[in-house]
Amino acid sequence: MTDQIAVFIPPHSNIAQRLRKRFFSSAMNSVITIIVGLFLAWAVWNVFNWAILNAVWASPDGTSKVCHGIEGACWAVIDVRWRLIIFGLFPFEEQWRSTFACIVIVMVAIMSCVPFFWKPMRLGPLWVVGFAIFYTLMAGGVFGLSYVGPADWGGLTLTVFVYAAGVLIGMPTAIALALLRRSELPVIAKTTGAIIDAVRSLPLVSILFTAALILPFVLPGFLVGDKIWRVIIGFALFFAAYQAEIIRSGIQALPSGQEEAAKALGLTYWQRINRIILPQAFRNALPPTINQFVITFKETSLIVIIGFFEVLASGNAAFGSGEWSHAWVEVYCFVAMIYFVFVFSLSRYGAYLERHLRVGQH
Amino acid sequence: MSNAAVTISGMNKYYGSFHALKNINLTVQKGERIVICGPSGSGKSTLIRCINKLEEHQQGSINVLGTELDDNVGNIDQIRREVGMVFQHFNLFPHLTVLENCTLSPMLARKMPQDEAENMAMTYLERVRIPEQAEKFPGELSGGQQQRVAIARALCMKPEVLLFDEPTSALDPEMISEVLEVMVSLAKDGMTMLCVTHEMGFARQVADRVIFMDQGEIVEQAAPEEFFGAPKNERTQNFLNQILSH
Repeated sequence: MTDQIAVFIPPHSNIAQRLRKRFFSSAMNSVITIIVGLFLAWAVWNVFNWAILNAVWASPDGTSKVCHGIEGACWAVIDVRWRLIIFGLFPFEEQWRSTFACIVIVMVAIMSCVPFFWKPMRLGPLWVVGFAIFYTLMAGGVFGLSYVGPADWGGLTLTVFVYAAGVLIGMPTAIALALLRRSELPVIAKTTGAIIDAVRSLPLVSILFTAALILPFVLPGFLVGDKIWRVIIGFALFFAAYQAEIIRSGIQALPSGQEEAAKALGLTYWQRINRIILPQAFRNALPPTINQFVITFKETSLIVIIGFFEVLASGNAAFGSGEWSHAWVEVYCFVAMIYFVFVFSLSRYGAYLERHLRVGQH
Repeated sequence: MSNAAVTISGMNKYYGSFHALKNINLTVQKGERIVICGPSGSGKSTLIRCINKLEEHQQGSINVLGTELDDNVGNIDQIRREVGMVFQHFNLFPHLTVLENCTLSPMLARKMPQDEAENMAMTYLERVRIPEQAEKFPGELSGGQQQRVAIARALCMKPEVLLFDEPTSALDPEMISEVLEVMVSLAKDGMTMLCVTHEMGFARQVADRVIFMDQGEIVEQAAPEEFFGAPKNERTQNFLNQILSH
């Protein structure tokens, strides 16, 4: 259709004209512009002074002495303690394993974002292999690697693992819940609705607490498994309850004619779901889905309450020993930056998907 | 085996307590072209939607191409593969291209290889005279073009029977004729057709039988000359006066 759009280009105003129009269009606007501008300049200058000019970047002897009496940021705490933040309690000499494990999961996650892998026969094996490598590297016990139990995993690697595993188990569960809630059999639809509502009505903390501490008393021994898996299942269930409603909203938004046309063509239930309903439902529900992914990433910080040292808890530990206790702002800045990199990437990917999937929707 | 494509006998349909279709008896022979008309709410769309079980009937029997429509899901899917349907609002799949809309069902429901399905789809797209739109998405086409794609999509399943549910009612006036032309050419090729439509010119031109429905009943059915020339029932006369007066 582009060739039919008129080729007239509006006259381009120069920078001075545009500035005047946007920021100095009246006496009042000019005053506001100048005041806000001065404040911003002052703020940026102070942050720059603190974070860059007067900052201490390293501690050659590994102690906090370098930071005594300085006016700027004490980034030396990151220099000395970054391994604790990234790897948690993982044994020091084995931390290369945690590094590779984290890279593997992130790589697999990035690969799943490429349209080429958007087929169950490609996505499935990719994640099975990814998790197998991750688990081998982290837990060890084979190929001459020493055994490291999940209780000693920590830091960023643990955060990424719990998130990836939670979402990966949670997403199929969410789809199943969404479809079951639309069942024509009232018993199934109502039961599923009750499950979703029940899970949503509970705080995540209480679900994690139940999974970690109470389930072992209730479940038969062979079902208990490691605490990390119970926590991931609890986490996945919580994610699934919310995501199921998001998917259902995407399905409800479809005109009933879509399902009828698919039926009239003789497609079976699963063919209709896989090829007609879900692809369109996910496209409809993309913004809230990305929202849910972002929220879920940040909610991983709650697993600290049942004793897992994910990246935020590891950060707390990094300045928690008296010596570095003055440097908590710097540590939080560093952890915030890690969260920002992950969440901002997710948001940008969401924006890309929206453009990519809008093809043909006019 | 008889020559009947669709046999409906003693069929009743209810929406809750509302009696939507009352004691419907209708036999459609293979190759027969039937036009169903009637005022809004008379049950004509509901009737043809019962034939591929988009609506469920509560009493009586519907037999399509020798298969009884019952609760057997396998039977229903099989009948739906043999009975094509064209909808008022086209109902193309907006996330698939025109070509993919046409090849999806042959590939999934008939297990046809992709290249074969695409060749066949192009043949039918040529037949409805829009092969050049094959790579576009439905949203990029006009209403008339979309409805022709919908017809091609239905034809790709090589159906024995085609159901049309007011195929021109949602179209701008200037696009109605391009869709009707395709329907006329299908009729001339001997396709078994049941059309719910108010296009009385189409009915005169191709129908073997015109059925008039009102309040869930088949009030009158006759060949077009007789139906338009000498309608017997008073309700039919009133209806024809209303739609033919302008």
